[in-house]
Amino acid sequence: MTATLAAARRWAALTATIGGLAVLVAALPWLRDDDPARSVLRARLGEREPDPAALAAVRSELDLPAGPVQGAAQWLSGAVTGDLGRSWVDGSSVAETVAAAAGVSALLGGAAAVVAVAVGLLLGAPAAWTAASGRRPRAGFTAAALTALPEFVLAAVLITVVAVNWRLAPTAGWFGPSYLVLPALALGIPTGGLLARLLITAVEATAAEPWVHTWRAAGSGRGELAAALLRRAVTVVVTQVAVLFVGLLGGAVAVEQLFAIPGLGRIALHASLAQDLPLVQGCVLLLVIVGVAVGGLGIAVHRLLLGPAGAAASLIPAVPAHRRRGRRVAPIAAATLLLGVVVAGLLRDADRVRLGARLTGPSWAHPLGADPVGRDVLAQLGHGAVLTVGTAAAVTVVSLLAGLTIGLRGGAARAGAADILNALPPVFVGLVVAAILSPGLAAAALAAALVAWVPLGVHTRGLAEEVRASGYYRAAELCGAGPGRLLRRHLLPAVAGPVVLHALARVPATALTIAGLGFLGLGAGHDSPEWGAQLATAVAYLERAPLAVLGPVAGLGLLGVLAAAAPTASPAGSRSGTAPDTGRGETAPPAAPLTKAMT
Amino acid sequence: MATAATKSYGPRRVLDGVDLDIAAGDRLGILGASGAGKSTLLRLLLAVEAPDRGEIRFRDRPVRPARPGALAWFRRAVQLVPQDPYGSLSPRMTVAEIIAEPLECLRVPGDHRERVAELLAAVDLDPALARRRPAALSGGQRQRVAVARALAPRPEVLVADEPVSALDATVRVMVLDLLLEASERSGAALVMVSHDVAAVRRVCDRVAVLDRGRIAESGTVVDVFGAPGTNATRDLLAAVPRLPVGAA
Amino acid sequence: MKTVIIFAVLRLSRLSVRFADRVVVDDVDLAVGPGEAVGLIGGSGSGKTLTALGVLGLLPATAHATGSITVDGAELCGAPERRLRRVRGSRVGFIGQDALAALNPLATVGRHLRIPLRGHRGLSRREAAQECAHLLDRVGLPAETATAYPAQLSGGQRQRVAIALAAAGRPGLLIADEPTSALDPLTQAGVLGLLRDLPPADGGARPALLLISHDLAVVSQVCTRLAVMHAGRLVEEGDTAEVIAAPRHPYTRALVASARALAA
Repeated sequence: MTATLAAARRWAALTATIGGLAVLVAALPWLRDDDPARSVLRARLGEREPDPAALAAVRSELDLPAGPVQGAAQWLSGAVTGDLGRSWVDGSSVAETVAAAAGVSALLGGAAAVVAVAVGLLLGAPAAWTAASGRRPRAGFTAAALTALPEFVLAAVLITVVAVNWRLAPTAGWFGPSYLVLPALALGIPTGGLLARLLITAVEATAAEPWVHTWRAAGSGRGELAAALLRRAVTVVVTQVAVLFVGLLGGAVAVEQLFAIPGLGRIALHASLAQDLPLVQGCVLLLVIVGVAVGGLGIAVHRLLLGPAGAAASLIPAVPAHRRRGRRVAPIAAATLLLGVVVAGLLRDADRVRLGARLTGPSWAHPLGADPVGRDVLAQLGHGAVLTVGTAAAVTVVSLLAGLTIGLRGGAARAGAADILNALPPVFVGLVVAAILSPGLAAAALAAALVAWVPLGVHTRGLAEEVRASGYYRAAELCGAGPGRLLRRHLLPAVAGPVVLHALARVPATALTIAGLGFLGLGAGHDSPEWGAQLATAVAYLERAPLAVLGPVAGLGLLGVLAAAAPTASPAGSRSGTAPDTGRGETAPPAAPLTKAMT
Repeated sequence: MATAATKSYGPRRVLDGVDLDIAAGDRLGILGASGAGKSTLLRLLLAVEAPDRGEIRFRDRPVRPARPGALAWFRRAVQLVPQDPYGSLSPRMTVAEIIAEPLECLRVPGDHRERVAELLAAVDLDPALARRRPAALSGGQRQRVAVARALAPRPEVLVADEPVSALDATVRVMVLDLLLEASERSGAALVMVSHDVAAVRRVCDRVAVLDRGRIAESGTVVDVFGAPGTNATRDLLAAVPRLPVGAA
Repeated sequence: MKTVIIFAVLRLSRLSVRFADRVVVDDVDLAVGPGEAVGLIGGSGSGKTLTALGVLGLLPATAHATGSITVDGAELCGAPERRLRRVRGSRVGFIGQDALAALNPLATVGRHLRIPLRGHRGLSRREAAQECAHLLDRVGLPAETATAYPAQLSGGQRQRVAIALAAAGRPGLLIADEPTSALDPLTQAGVLGLLRDLPPADGGARPALLLISHDLAVVSQVCTRLAVMHAGRLVEEGDTAEVIAAPRHPYTRALVASARALAA
């Protein structure tokens, strides 16, 4: 297959995926197993059984079409002309609401992106300096630590410490530049950490390329070589950076909610919780457009940086196989600590309500204090872990099977679709799923699964492509091996090991996704010990009992350490570059004992 | 075997009306510089790709590329010794499994274990290596495994793709002699695609010189190398490094 | 017969290179005189490449070198990175195996040549551009090559660029590690000819050459003296014609026999 044909297929797949998403968004109000008019009344009045006259009035007022096909067509034709319909709740124009919110979100996102790039370069550039003298860059410990706290947890911590305790910045609102600082930091710092890790990994890989030898042998100065290494590394990671920035949009939902910023994410969240579907449609449409635009921008910048050096220059070398042991200490310690807390918590009674002990601080009776209804926080933490991590483990098994199956089928067409889905922040999916079904742990799990199979599928596809291109696979074909044998003897053995490890390594990240949805009210209910829900409850009482957030924050932070310890977070399947023979070079993530204990 | 085979990629015609005939027991070298069309011709001969025009015939039957697992009759009769002894053996299989692969895939009757032992002896490998994986083998040993695998289904034609270019100088002669001996003993024809004049001279009786997609010259090795008729052949011969005169 | 060289450009004495668990270069003595072409020959894993990397101070971080390496009389074994950086490119030039990867894909040929021209010879931008054209001419490439990226060149052209890069700092010694093993025979002959007959820089002497290869026939095209390495040790050394006529070590004998078997 020629390159142009492959490119054409990729574009076709891309267009098909975007088109599919558009139709899905358009048909959103009719995907619920319910009459939209009924939903509108419930959204407005909370009535269970509205009378037919009211329903008819709503239908004529909002001009609701009769069925999904008609509805989707009507919405799409409106969307093209900039008419996104009216809100079911207050009847205001969706386009106007979304446009106003988008300005706020753009400001926040821009500030966060600046923070992220600054943090990323600050932590990533020294790696090039180290590599320029032939030494291996340091493991990027600080970068890993920064990624350990997900945005919603970091935001809670920043509010608690900086805004409530030190009173250095406003806790919430949107009235001036000082209101931008904490949200931008909460949103930008974890992304900056990820960016730095990507950059460090790319520098490490670049430093192993043979031309570095040539440059050093020619007497290249250290600064000169460091600059060349950094330039090459940036060229390699820039498309993945675009994906990170799309992820920023997802994080913005929680951050805007916590800081009460009237941005797109917060509006989408409230619309989803109120099942105001036209508003959800409008927000999701805009977020998807921005996501695709940012992704396209990444590819454009990549091309620009490559310049006339051409396609040959995008050749990514094998990632060095040996990883330092030192990095394992932190994740192992985190896993042990987490396990200890969980076991201690599981032995305690989580459900006993002691109203007298509401929001009390740590004591012998309640080592981590009590929650707003007087339940023991340690016990809640232990029981919540089973919900959060157990669900994540189940989701992982399902997405592993899906990822392997879809990835092994291969083909450039599916690759394009996976690339788009890969860039979709899980929060969006959670928003849509919760708007269609109702919010709950099952909805959160479904949303997590819809997202989690993608990186596994991309990884599988990458490894399978390598095997298919390998000499031994072609030799087997010439030996007369049929498709079944090729799959059994050559593809599966090469692919299964690394992908299963990858899936295990993603369990903490999936748990964080589920907790994040729970935190937003899109997952487990507010009285559930599920960690995200627990944190949301504690945050509501932040001013009275700042210490109550400590338990869930610590638990989620430890999960974050485990997620960060997974071989470099690869939003775009960056590790498909490993050679097939060194497929075993993947580090075994310490998440394995944890999941065993949980299930 | 090939008749007027032509292959173009886009506007570039890589092979232009190549005719080749391979008889039983023939040892034919296909010689050419890089870009002459050697690898394309090889893919056509192995029925991995189809020519745009012309055809590949074997036992008077046309051969067309098909999905994996098909063409068993052809695969059984035509086997490849690949160029790269490092990439062409699965790192996850033992030597015995690798050699038995064509036997199993092509459902060759008989005791496979016995045949593998026989083949290991034929390529002069220690039987104890049967349970090792390729990573434990040297380059020369790996290439012997590749030869054994190709010989396993008792093919009528062995196709060798630059079989020694990735090997150390001292190992090259051994592997070339092994190929020659294997073809002599089994009566299989040998087609060796190479840019290496010395390797072709060592192993082949006949040679076809490929130049920019066409056969520039063909004939017996003695004739063609003794009195080259085209510049392509002369250039290739002139490029062979010679040992200093005083050494001879 | 060991050749005694008094004024050596490069002198290795008792050089050993170790990894944690094994010795890969074992007690090697070798000297290269000014303008001399010496071939270092051996099979894969014989330690010949690590010997060369040791001279340049480019051994992998896990390797440890002991003994003595002097270039123009200056000791390099165990020298700090800062001093090594001044030696690389200006005293010793290095030519690696041609893979596309041996040149930075994102840098033009001119950018590569500026590393030694500006870094070592302190030329101004304009002088460097002139010298660049001159260097490319010396290796038989047109001056326009300076604006090309490595991916736009053929294998032979890239290897000529690598030779120009190695010679740009006017070193007294060039080390070439399997410079032709990735090239087809026609191109190989051209590159070997260039290595043998590289025109000297204006007013300069021809640099000495240490050519590393596994192929006796290749080395004997260029070198007047041979050193044979086997399993980390230097097993034989002498005049090229003599070694080929009367090899003494069993490994050398095998080398000569296989070269003869494939020779014209």
